[in-house]
Amino acid sequence: MHISDGILEPKWILFWFVISAIFISLGLRIINKRIAADPAYLPRISLIGAVVFVISVWHIPVPVTGSSSHPVGTPLAAIIIGPFATVVISAIALFFQAFVGHGGLTTIGANTFSMGIVGTFSGYLVYRLLKNISPLWFSAGMAGFVGSILTYLTTALELALSLNPGNVMHYWKLYAMGFIPTQLPLCIAEFAFTGYVIKYISETKPEVVAPADVCLDRFTKTALGLMILITSLLAIGAYIGYLGGGNMAGTDSTVEALAAPGAISNGIGVRLMARIGEPIGFGSVGIIGGLITGYFWSVARRKS
Amino acid sequence: MTDSRIKILISFLLITAITVMKHWYLPISISLLCIVLAAKLKVIRDYGKKLRFPLVLALFIFVTQGFTYGVNAVNLGIVSVYSEGIEYGFLIFSRVFASASILLLLVITTSENELLESMRYFGVPKTMLEISSFMARYIKTFSSEGKKLKLAQKSRCGFPKNAGFKKKMHSLASISGALITRAFARSEEVYRAMLSRGWKQDLRYSIDCHPLNKRDLILGIILSSGIFVLLGLDRLVW
Repeated sequence: MHISDGILEPKWILFWFVISAIFISLGLRIINKRIAADPAYLPRISLIGAVVFVISVWHIPVPVTGSSSHPVGTPLAAIIIGPFATVVISAIALFFQAFVGHGGLTTIGANTFSMGIVGTFSGYLVYRLLKNISPLWFSAGMAGFVGSILTYLTTALELALSLNPGNVMHYWKLYAMGFIPTQLPLCIAEFAFTGYVIKYISETKPEVVAPADVCLDRFTKTALGLMILITSLLAIGAYIGYLGGGNMAGTDSTVEALAAPGAISNGIGVRLMARIGEPIGFGSVGIIGGLITGYFWSVARRKS
Repeated sequence: MTDSRIKILISFLLITAITVMKHWYLPISISLLCIVLAAKLKVIRDYGKKLRFPLVLALFIFVTQGFTYGVNAVNLGIVSVYSEGIEYGFLIFSRVFASASILLLLVITTSENELLESMRYFGVPKTMLEISSFMARYIKTFSSEGKKLKLAQKSRCGFPKNAGFKKKMHSLASISGALITRAFARSEEVYRAMLSRGWKQDLRYSIDCHPLNKRDLILGIILSSGIFVLLGLDRLVW
């Protein structure tokens, strides 16, 4: 499910563009390093990206409904070319798809986030977790299933955040429920499809199914780790405050008391947060904070 | 012939402007204008076919908003809808209709190579452009190769009419797997071909693009101003 132009509000368009740009630049960094070490990687990744694009627009039979639809394809690509390279490939694929009516130009960021980042990383994580304890076809199939279902749940969340900011949880459920009749059978189809394809490749050309870009450098590892840690801490803090009855009072009180005791009540930070909204504000703070901390942490460790 | 960079820039600006519009009148007018243009360009069939996907999602949002969003309920006998939801849902629908129409007309009137060339002008990273160029070139090749594989498998009873889900999926996955392994093998040949043509790692796209000519530049400024006028109309007149 691709979000078309004209649906998302401008601030959310910008937000998803920024998040996706971070992952795309990390992906490009990894691809450039691989090309420097092995120049044949450039045509390899491009051709496999082209094939996965072609396959993802083929219609696959969908059980229960008896109809057919096209798979997400990003979990499959992540297993073959690695998750970071898949983010870059999916952003390019979404650009091409926008011109045939799937998605849009202003929503490339949002669609890259749901398909290329959430779908890819969740699928790849499931594949890596299950690979050693279950048959290859099953771990690949589960990657397809989880990647596909999380892509739709993220799309539903993106719609709810932008269209109904006053009642996000209710509308998230509503949009997700709306997608279920068509998307749940499709997720089952994606399970079978990804499982069969990986099984076929592993039997005919096993070297294709190899982790391609999991060897992250220290900066990327630290930055990503801290990004997730800081965002999680902010989210937990906000949620605890929410449970306590306040509107995200958990992080508000902590920031006021510890981080900015002398902050002016109508200062630029407060006004900016009021303007862009707390979910976007806190999310951005976590992600940017994690990246900056990760960078300086890496520099400090290298010096010591 | 207008420069593709101007076309892309104006389309992007217009789509962004439509996204921030608060009333449905202008988006609907733009959509109608696009339908007329598509008919004039004799691409109405292709245009209508491609418009189906975004409109389905827009319709879903329209229905969801109409039934759930707002406080002023309008009783329609069996069900009730909300006037605020209908209004907001229709605004979203009109925005999607107009934006998708502009994008489709852009792609109908601009070639793939022109689009990629313009991306270079807008500062898209070189590696992304190289991958995009390869992908644009090989999507067509693998698409036709995939069709041939499907046909070959069909002739060998790979897709019988009475086949169940498992059989159909197995056949399709075999074709997909075969196509992926072929791509892997072909990438080695492509790399050898690149080397034989003098490709080196530091030999990348030139960042110099030919400058915009005066006529296109003036047209771009006029059209951009027009878009701002439309935004002003949307905000101030209605």
